[in-house]
Amino acid sequence: MKAVSIPSGTNLTALYRELVGDYPKFFKMDTLSKLGFLLTEMLLQGTEGRFTPREDRAVLVFSRNGSLANDINYAKRMEDFPSPALFVYTLPNIVAGEISIRNKYEGETSAYVLENYDRQLIESIVREAFQDRITRDAIVAWIDCRSDSEWTAQAWIETK
Amino acid sequence: MTKVYCIGEGLYTPLGSTVDTVLEAVREGKSARLFDRSGYSGASFFEHIALEASRNALKGIEITPGTGFVLSTTKGNVEHIGKEDISLAASAARIAGALGIKTKPIVVSNACISGIAALLQGVRMIRSGEYDKVIVTGAEVHSDFIHSGFDCLKALSPEPCRPFDKDREGLNLGEAAAAIVLSSCHSEPSSCHSEPSSCHSERSEESFEISDGVIRNDANHISGPSRTGEGSYKCLRYVMENVRKEDIAFISVHGTATPYNDEMESVALYRAGLSDVPINALKGNFGHTLGAAGILEAIVSMAALEKGIVLPTKGFHEMGVTYPVNVSALERPASGKLIIKLLSGFGGVNGAMVFRKGGAQ
Amino acid sequence: MENLINELKLKIIDALNLDGMTPEDIDNNAPLFGDEGLGLDSIDVLELIVLLERNYGIRLDSPSKGKEVFQSVAVMAKYVAENRTK
Repeated sequence: MKAVSIPSGTNLTALYRELVGDYPKFFKMDTLSKLGFLLTEMLLQGTEGRFTPREDRAVLVFSRNGSLANDINYAKRMEDFPSPALFVYTLPNIVAGEISIRNKYEGETSAYVLENYDRQLIESIVREAFQDRITRDAIVAWIDCRSDSEWTAQAWIETK
Repeated sequence: MTKVYCIGEGLYTPLGSTVDTVLEAVREGKSARLFDRSGYSGASFFEHIALEASRNALKGIEITPGTGFVLSTTKGNVEHIGKEDISLAASAARIAGALGIKTKPIVVSNACISGIAALLQGVRMIRSGEYDKVIVTGAEVHSDFIHSGFDCLKALSPEPCRPFDKDREGLNLGEAAAAIVLSSCHSEPSSCHSEPSSCHSERSEESFEISDGVIRNDANHISGPSRTGEGSYKCLRYVMENVRKEDIAFISVHGTATPYNDEMESVALYRAGLSDVPINALKGNFGHTLGAAGILEAIVSMAALEKGIVLPTKGFHEMGVTYPVNVSALERPASGKLIIKLLSGFGGVNGAMVFRKGGAQ
Repeated sequence: MENLINELKLKIIDALNLDGMTPEDIDNNAPLFGDEGLGLDSIDVLELIVLLERNYGIRLDSPSKGKEVFQSVAVMAKYVAENRTK
């Protein structure tokens, strides 16, 4: 099973330029979404038929802190002039939406918040997600973004 | 496949804290979106209401070592941001601890479809055979954080919201908590896999079964609903594989009363061939309760079908969507055995769930 | 007016995180939304509404009004010049 990770503190813009370079929406994303976007690029680049719409792949994102890092960024702007572009990222599942938009995944997407990185619990939730009659595999990610410079980020693909 | 039943339902809302009082309030066209917090002095109002709803759902039901807990919320304790640890996981652990849950709590935070996503998670946990009961609790409290966000998105209506109406101007935010206890029995009573005392069998006649549920993404935009209702349509197509159209009593739509959401739902219903099925929306009564909405609206809808009625859509007067839909402006008799609950939310997510009346096949 | 146009372009690039763009890349009369020009989306409209309020004290109540004002940078600059309160 291929698994990828991005070390905490990595220069994400540099990584984006190295891997992608032609997806300007990247610059609008919060750190959590940038991490999810780049992890899936690392997992999927070179895959055949990659951008064909499909309903049989789920995107399941796990973390402890959800969107907390961006919540704090939004809260700072809130007192002054609240930013709509920041607010939409104050949800833990937006990163799954960004991955879906990029890759045209029209299947299940969900965000789960757990007390800690519990691989056994994650595996059982993924197995349960395979009860969906169409889902055949899933992009699974643990992206715990504690601030814009400190995170744990890894992703892999699981098959039914 | 294991059948999963709703064996307990609990509410804690500004319109009341029992299913009966809330149902009557909705029938009378009442509306209340925010709690009166005077008299509350605890540390977390969010956890307080989540606990109250959970306890109401658990009346007469025992928590076993194999009871699971799933929390549905979008922002939890966000009103305390900057002052303390507002992690959703910490909230879930405290609520589970107070209820005496021994298994690890799971938070599902999937924007406005969190309620359906959490119930679906609970259903799957029962079907996995690893849990004999699962409490699924949805809760959301109002905060400046959430208000300012929806305000800068220009999504708030200055007036009481008007789902599907031609003059709708946006949504109203609400707060509430709601909980459902799920339990299982195999289709053959003899193979019921939990001990008889904790099995729902004595209630199976009247308990609703959650017979199906699904989540699909529009893969289109992180905040704007799909113009073609793509994800919502795919959800309906999925659940209709196992539903006869004539069995649908009504569809409880998301109906936030934003121009785009309601239009999108009309497209999805039309594409799914469900334009003539009665639909209703409850946001005019409760406002949009975000992470609580799916569970709250499912409980009220089940209670309505038990009474044999389709609830009115408060705020709706004149059709305001392009595709034909059968909106219930006023209360009317329900015919049919099941309800479909629909939700959609930011991140392109859509969900549908089927609640089948006890004994109905 | 040229100064205001240039100032607006810089603020738009900053507010909308248009990475790598310079004022010279934005045509004064090119549409800001849709498939041509900058190709901005619905959240960008809302972000530009905030930009006008924050920098020029102009409050637009609805996104549809925004779409009129944000036809192009030239239209936007004219509107700002006529309606600014700061």
